[in-house]
Amino acid sequence: MAQVVIKRLTKTFPPPTKGGDPVVAIGDISLEVEGNVFASIVGPSGCGKSTLLNILSGVETPTSGTVSVTESGRPAHLGYVFQDARLLPWRTVMDNMLYVRDDGEAGETRATRYLDMVGLSHTHDMFPGQLSGGMQQRVGIARAFSVEPDLLLMDEPFSHLDAITARSLRDHLQELWSATRKTVLFVTHDVVEAVQLSDRIIVLAPGGRIFDDITIDLPHPRRATDPKVATLQAEILGRFEEMHPAPAPA
Amino acid sequence: MTAAPVALPEAPAPQGGLRRWLASPVGAQITAAVVFIGAWQLLTVIAPRVPGPAVVANFLFVEITGGPHGGIVRGQFFEHFAVTLQRFSLGLFFGFISGLLVGILIGSSSLARALLSDTVLVLLTMPAFVWAFLTTMWFGITWQAPVLTVAFSAFPFVAINVAQGVRAIAPELRNMSTAFEVGKWKQFRHLTVPAVAGYIFAGLRFAIIIGWNGILLSEWFSGQAGVGFRTRYWFDANRYRGFVGWVIVFIVFIVLVDRVILNRLQARAFRWRDQKEVDFIEIEEEQVGL
Ligand SMILES: Nc1ncnc2c1ncn2[C@@H]1O[C@H](COP(=O)(O)OP(=O)(O)OP(=O)(O)O)[C@@H](O)[C@H]1O
Ligand SMILES: [Mg+2]
Repeated sequence: MAQVVIKRLTKTFPPPTKGGDPVVAIGDISLEVEGNVFASIVGPSGCGKSTLLNILSGVETPTSGTVSVTESGRPAHLGYVFQDARLLPWRTVMDNMLYVRDDGEAGETRATRYLDMVGLSHTHDMFPGQLSGGMQQRVGIARAFSVEPDLLLMDEPFSHLDAITARSLRDHLQELWSATRKTVLFVTHDVVEAVQLSDRIIVLAPGGRIFDDITIDLPHPRRATDPKVATLQAEILGRFEEMHPAPAPA
Repeated sequence: MTAAPVALPEAPAPQGGLRRWLASPVGAQITAAVVFIGAWQLLTVIAPRVPGPAVVANFLFVEITGGPHGGIVRGQFFEHFAVTLQRFSLGLFFGFISGLLVGILIGSSSLARALLSDTVLVLLTMPAFVWAFLTTMWFGITWQAPVLTVAFSAFPFVAINVAQGVRAIAPELRNMSTAFEVGKWKQFRHLTVPAVAGYIFAGLRFAIIIGWNGILLSEWFSGQAGVGFRTRYWFDANRYRGFVGWVIVFIVFIVLVDRVILNRLQARAFRWRDQKEVDFIEIEEEQVGL
């Protein structure tokens, strides 16, 4: 049950070309996420979603403002699922799991448990290059859960996958989440996916500002085909139209 | 690498065993050796001062077994070879370790790159004989001269390759490690080293070949023992069979090191990559219905 507090955060990157304008990835964001919440961050490409997660995980530093990620007063442990699997190609699946947290036998038991949960119990000794893209992504998900993080960051984990694989991984994810109830920050640009998975949707607008903050009060796990989910999806997609009005039909 | 040759069906039906044998790796090597020895023999017909293969083989036999070369001179082989090998390993060790460290430094810090990369480039262009001369001038006829010649000639090849490898490490994997709070030492062992392994091997290969040349030169100029010294001894004595014999020893050694030791090491280090290749071939086999 982590607590994420973001205060007046901005992030500016140096101009990509000499003499150009600096790139504002995050304009001015203040945000709190707390408890056993599955929160999604939705927004168009380039609005600073990945940058936000990178700042939270310590890969990038803020330009101004503060972020704190704590778990009952101490710095929280993080798990991170990336857009691509990011496995070490020279280590087996099991060794990749142990790379991020190796505490002997306990580590191996945990790794085995989470690999089982994503249906990869037969791949322990295989190298990433021997797995399909979807399988690699599942290892990435198992790896993030296996460190038993206080906060789980996920950056478009399904966007590189075909629709069928993505759907089955979403179900896997919901199962894992229902079993563990971590605090999750889930980045996606797929509103439909966000509605199916989250308790809360934070919508970012271009320029890295918060556009909307929506609470979704439906029980987990949710089926993509559930009519209540579908209705809500349509409604929220409608709100998006306000941000990017569709051209009127001719 | 050492992946077993896989017999995929060739488009035209293979015509007889001989052709197929010639095309196999072992067959090709043996054929090349036979052609080479034949050409060498032919050369002795045209230029009678060139010692032929049989004469040289006989010389090497006497030299290795310590028999009499005629007169009071007896064969000496292992003592020279051992001396050279010791100096070579020591020099290579120093050159390799310092190259590795400097390479990692240059690859990971832009300050180090600014300060050191030009120096390394200058060293890279320095021919081995310059080191052989300089070290002899500094140390005289001592063991330091050949050891340092090897170290100096090996160092820049390792450094430059390793630096390139470190720069090529995927930042995504680096970020992943940061996000999961993987320790610095663990990152070094399991991310940096394996990612750079290919570059380390490339550097080591060059270093060994360049260093081996360096030691021959150094011992030629300033040795009182060693392969280079012995080669010169026969050259000065106008015994070209001895000279050619030792040159052959020199070449055969380096080829063996490269083919046997380095290839083995490399195959082990890249098990993860070979695994994939083997798999790929297996899939191909399935597809062609073997
Ligand atoms: N390391 C960097 N250096 C310079 N500019 C960067 C860097 N990282 C991101 N940016 C810029 O910051 C902006 C936000 O990028 P970010 O990757 O956070 O977007 P995103 O919302 O994740 O987009 P997408 O949905 O396409 O992944 C972009 O304009 C991008 O060009
Ligand atoms: Mg992104």
